[in-house]
Amino acid sequence: MNRYLKLVNFELNRFRKIYVTLILLTLLSQIAAVLLLTKGYLNDAYETIKLENLTEKSYVLEYGGFDFTHITGSLLFLGPIALSAGALIFYIFLIWYRDWFGKNTFAYRLLMLPTSRVFVYLSKATAIFLMVLGLVAIQLMILPLENTIYEWMIPKTFLNYSMTIDSIINSNPLLRIIIPGTFSGFLINYGIGLMIMFILFAIILFERSYRIKGIIMGILYAAAVTAVFVTPLMAMGFEVIYLYPGELFGVLLILSILITGLTLWVSRWLIIKKITV
Amino acid sequence: MIEVKQISKKFGRKKILDGVSFTANKGEITCLIGINGVGKTTTLKAIMGLTPYSGDILIDNEKLTKHTYEKITFIPDAAIMLPQMTIKQAMEFMNDFYTVWNQDRADQMLEFFKLKLETRISELSKGNVAKVNLLMGLALDVDYILMDEPFSGIDMFSREQIADVFTSHLIEDRGVLITTHEISDIEHLIDKVVILDNGKVLKEFHTEDMRENEGKNVIDVMREVYRA
Repeated sequence: MNRYLKLVNFELNRFRKIYVTLILLTLLSQIAAVLLLTKGYLNDAYETIKLENLTEKSYVLEYGGFDFTHITGSLLFLGPIALSAGALIFYIFLIWYRDWFGKNTFAYRLLMLPTSRVFVYLSKATAIFLMVLGLVAIQLMILPLENTIYEWMIPKTFLNYSMTIDSIINSNPLLRIIIPGTFSGFLINYGIGLMIMFILFAIILFERSYRIKGIIMGILYAAAVTAVFVTPLMAMGFEVIYLYPGELFGVLLILSILITGLTLWVSRWLIIKKITV
Repeated sequence: MIEVKQISKKFGRKKILDGVSFTANKGEITCLIGINGVGKTTTLKAIMGLTPYSGDILIDNEKLTKHTYEKITFIPDAAIMLPQMTIKQAMEFMNDFYTVWNQDRADQMLEFFKLKLETRISELSKGNVAKVNLLMGLALDVDYILMDEPFSGIDMFSREQIADVFTSHLIEDRGVLITTHEISDIEHLIDKVVILDNGKVLKEFHTEDMRENEGKNVIDVMREVYRA
């Protein structure tokens, strides 16, 4: 267990520089979004007020006021979230392939450590999961700060309503996915995320074990488990069966547990018995 | 003792190893000899569980497990620590993960090879990479050491320095299984030879027996085998 934690720490340290860059980029880009867009809206509003000889109140009645959804829908706000998500998806591949194709073949050392190879596998999965949770936590922490700056910049007359963090998250589909409002929502979103990550890990391990043949085997495996997972949804779509939402949730939950379990078992077999350096 | 029993390995349709069997004993230097592509490195990787194979490999009568990595180590012919690590960080990494890491021996080897702790792995010359690899392997208190081409592509002085390791207390009574083309550098140190060709063992002999009984050295036998 101790070596597993050391491996997790080691993996986190290896991604540290890129991770800190992603955090800083998110922070700077979103605060820039708040400052620049708010200033832009206000300038436009004051120019219209001047041109049309309006009062602030009549401007709001005519054109509508502002709220934080104007910021959360912008590219400067959503861009770094999408970039971080993209970087972490890319890292799912990089975390394995750099050990084989980096300047030095570190895979030799990793696979010869006097610890279970399953720990090597799990440490990589844990590192990615912790990094995802870390970014989400940082987003949750900076949202109130951004909202405070926004409300501080906007005169009360222009403000439609003061938004809570919950309402900000609910107003944006992307934020709703990464920060679900309920614990069950969190389990569903991140459970599916974990399952996809393990399936991608399995494809990588198939490729590292059987090379070109392994790519085909990995893709077939992914296609098979995806087909199993979507079968109840397809059956409902084609009206073959009808399940109540609770029943559908139960079926999908059981399927995802089975698929994740099978994928972990296949990956364990590959990393212990079949992998080649 | 390392026992390799009837191991076979295919890459695609090509048979790299075809029923290879030999033993390597503790306290002896066993040399795996053969021209390029005969499966020397593949054999070492199979012993270390770094490539799948059919057949059996036993280390002190046991199959390879995670615990075996504290009993046997592999020194490949290229750098395997992260390039951004300094030698000091690489040593700390080894110390973190191996209970058999011997810091005193690592310090002795640093001094012996005149390596600097703050040098990054990426800054090392080919000769110094080989020395760092040896350091990382030999500083482990393991019973068996596998070395893949430790003299490959390095200058004469580094070769001499590395060859000196074989006669030093750093090897002591451990079992060494080595592959090399530069047989002349360590010919006088080898206890046992296994000659591979086309994925099979052509000949396995103790050098002393060969010298005493047939009056031939390793190079003579190699000439005989490969010219036949």
